Amino acid sequence: MAEQIEVVEHIKKQYIVVNIGNEQYGIDIGYVDNIVRMQKITRVPRVQPFFKGIINLRGEVIPVMSIRVRMGFEDDVFTNATRIIILKIEQQGLLGIIVDEVKEVVTLDMADVERVSSDMSDGKASFINGIGKNGDDLISLLDIFSIIEEKENV
Amino acid sequence: MDVSQYLEIFIDETSEHIQSLSDCIMTLEKEPENKDTINEIFRAAHSLKGMAGTMGFKRMQHLTHDMENVFQEVRSEKVKVTSEMIDILFRCLDAIEGYLETIKSTSDEGTEENEAIIAALNRFLEGSDSEAPKPAEQKQESAGEEQAGGETEKKFLEVQFSDKDKDALRAAEATGAKLYGMTVSVHKDCLLKAARAFLVFKSVEEFGQIVVYNPSSQDIEDERFELDFNIFVSCDVELDKLLKAVESVSEIAGAVGEQVKCADLFGDAPVPSNAPAPTDGAQTPDAAVKDNKQAPAKAKTASKPVANRTVRVDIEKLDALMNQVSELIIAKNSLVSISSQEGNNFQSQTFHEQIEYLERITTSLHESVMKVRMVPIESVVNKFPRMIRDLSRKLNKKMELYMTGEDTELDRTVVDQIGDPLQHLLRNSADHGLESGELRKERGKPETGSINLNAFQEGNNVIIEVSDDGNGIDTESIRRKAIERGLVTPEQAERLSQKEIIDFLFMPSFSMAKQITDISGRGVGLDVVKSNIEALGGDVEVKSVLGEGTKFTVRLPLTLAIIQALMVEIRDEKYAIALGSIETIEDIPIEEIRHVEAREVINLRGVVFPMIRLDRILDIEPQEDPESLTVVVVKKGDRLAGLVVDNLIGQLEIVIKSLGKYINNSKIISGATILGDGEVALILDVNTLF
Repeated sequence: MAEQIEVVEHIKKQYIVVNIGNEQYGIDIGYVDNIVRMQKITRVPRVQPFFKGIINLRGEVIPVMSIRVRMGFEDDVFTNATRIIILKIEQQGLLGIIVDEVKEVVTLDMADVERVSSDMSDGKASFINGIGKNGDDLISLLDIFSIIEEKENV
Repeated sequence: MDVSQYLEIFIDETSEHIQSLSDCIMTLEKEPENKDTINEIFRAAHSLKGMAGTMGFKRMQHLTHDMENVFQEVRSEKVKVTSEMIDILFRCLDAIEGYLETIKSTSDEGTEENEAIIAALNRFLEGSDSEAPKPAEQKQESAGEEQAGGETEKKFLEVQFSDKDKDALRAAEATGAKLYGMTVSVHKDCLLKAARAFLVFKSVEEFGQIVVYNPSSQDIEDERFELDFNIFVSCDVELDKLLKAVESVSEIAGAVGEQVKCADLFGDAPVPSNAPAPTDGAQTPDAAVKDNKQAPAKAKTASKPVANRTVRVDIEKLDALMNQVSELIIAKNSLVSISSQEGNNFQSQTFHEQIEYLERITTSLHESVMKVRMVPIESVVNKFPRMIRDLSRKLNKKMELYMTGEDTELDRTVVDQIGDPLQHLLRNSADHGLESGELRKERGKPETGSINLNAFQEGNNVIIEVSDDGNGIDTESIRRKAIERGLVTPEQAERLSQKEIIDFLFMPSFSMAKQITDISGRGVGLDVVKSNIEALGGDVEVKSVLGEGTKFTVRLPLTLAIIQALMVEIRDEKYAIALGSIETIEDIPIEEIRHVEAREVINLRGVVFPMIRLDRILDIEPQEDPESLTVVVVKKGDRLAGLVVDNLIGQLEIVIKSLGKYINNSKIISGATILGDGEVALILDVNTLF
């Protein structure tokens, strides 16, 4: 019994660490289906501004979102390091998000993660649900659901 | 032998019978004296009873049996058809449908006895001159009339025996037991002949042993016999008992038999029988013969049971097949695009020929799969006459539904989902559209309102029109209501076109009903209709003339997955336009463009229609006009519009893919498709541009 409690306190989760702008963000690896290189994105007119368009991933049409525009940063600059992370979210299907660079996979002890409440007023914080420490680096953990939900209509 | 393997057939056949009963009862209400209809009803009810009995659904059998009794009385003209009776009969049908639903979900009929309905049915019987016939009598009567249709002959006397059979018969005779020969004929409409035969054997074997089967028992079990079969039974009881037992099996038209001796049987000349022992010797009523006069004609068409040449397939399997065909077409498109690229090794003549061949095959494969998925809308619309009848009662308005084009075919998935929207529209017409009888008279219209449902195919679309000759839509009162609700300011309202005003009706919770009935008026009607139809890739339009009526036009795509499209280019973006909606393609010199009310229009051979610059609508950087514009002229119903594009790429068979749930899709784009080179192109929904 005592052992079990021990385990609960030391849940570890893996995150993919990506660069967006000057900051490091972590994406829960459980939602990541795939990481692909930048490819031609077909623009879809008259949609939400943060949707860059759609891509063809092995015969599937997948919408691609600019996480930068979504979070209010300046528009993406595509480089050789730019990647599209394909997220798989139950029921709603696949969604691609553009990141500047994929760095590494880290394992974070949930005990070292500081929870961030989502109603902080600086706008940006609402997309992250925690801050993890990886050595000296701080990693903002992306809240996938606040990214796909659209309550505050950008 | 287990009956569960027949359950699916039972369910299908029962629904068919319920439908035909419903249709017939509707006819009966209008023509209470129509003998053919009454006979038809009787047959359907009888088959229902028989099937329920075979499957062991006792309650259902009970209900249908009582229903049959009522028809029996109607047929023998002991009771008159009244509208009260029709109501009860419809309630009966609903109850049977209820049983069927329960059976579908649980393979059991449930415990609902429907005593009230049975009691109501029996009241009609009591009301008739004769007492309610006892079930046994009833059965005999029906058996009698069936026999009158096709007298069961003593075919067992002509049976050719094999040596083995002869030995068996001789051995049976040697035991001293009586040996009977019997010929049993099943009803000509009987569906599960083998099951009937099995039940016959079972009931006979309660008394004795079946020595010889003719045809062989294996053949009988596999339904390899026409309408009758012969058995030789060795037992100790009287023949009458045996025959009674056999006749009590439902859908058995008759049984004859007599005691036989091996010597007579194997002799060359069949011994003529002196006293045939039909069960109902006393009963060859003239009435039964008369009533049955149309049966022989029907029997001719139905007597040769044609082997069932259809296969039932789960729709999911068809979906999977469709997906694979889609993938094949994408693969084919990429082959085509590779072969047309310059500077590769695929320029040989034969390669191109093979590609073309492949193209033809994939196209016809797609067509075949599409056709397999098509079903007539009949299955959806044929419940509407009944619904309108009920509404007519409920609303106390006289109305009549006229339907055409029930055989129009649509993709199965579309048909499955079109029922509710159509039902809404019909209810709407019945409730809001048609005026009350008095008002109609005052206005010089026939007292009975008419509602029309017309379906037909137009290009790649199927059109379903629901129209009525009622009051029409009062745009003024909608205008007032919209202002009242604060949807528009009075000034804005003044400028709204009739179409824009009617569009308010399709807004959520905008009900025009003055009082809420349980038929419509809760404001969840037309907006749901619209969104359902749009989800199927269709749209709905309304035309209305105040005082003369309203017409809803529902437009649905024939196919959901693969279409022929024209690929066009606007700057460096590629778009697909469904070929079905394209009228012509024209080169229009820039100086021929006219302006009407600050909008650009084209006058093409006397027809004036608006010109739409796709680059503006699609947020593409505008460019300076060239000397002449390439215009794709598209149509929606009888309206035209000209779409300006930069280049035409060509015709392509495209597979429609959804954009997914994340993108707030502007309605202009109905989906995306993957081109041969792997690029994604968007599909324009031209219907939204009008």
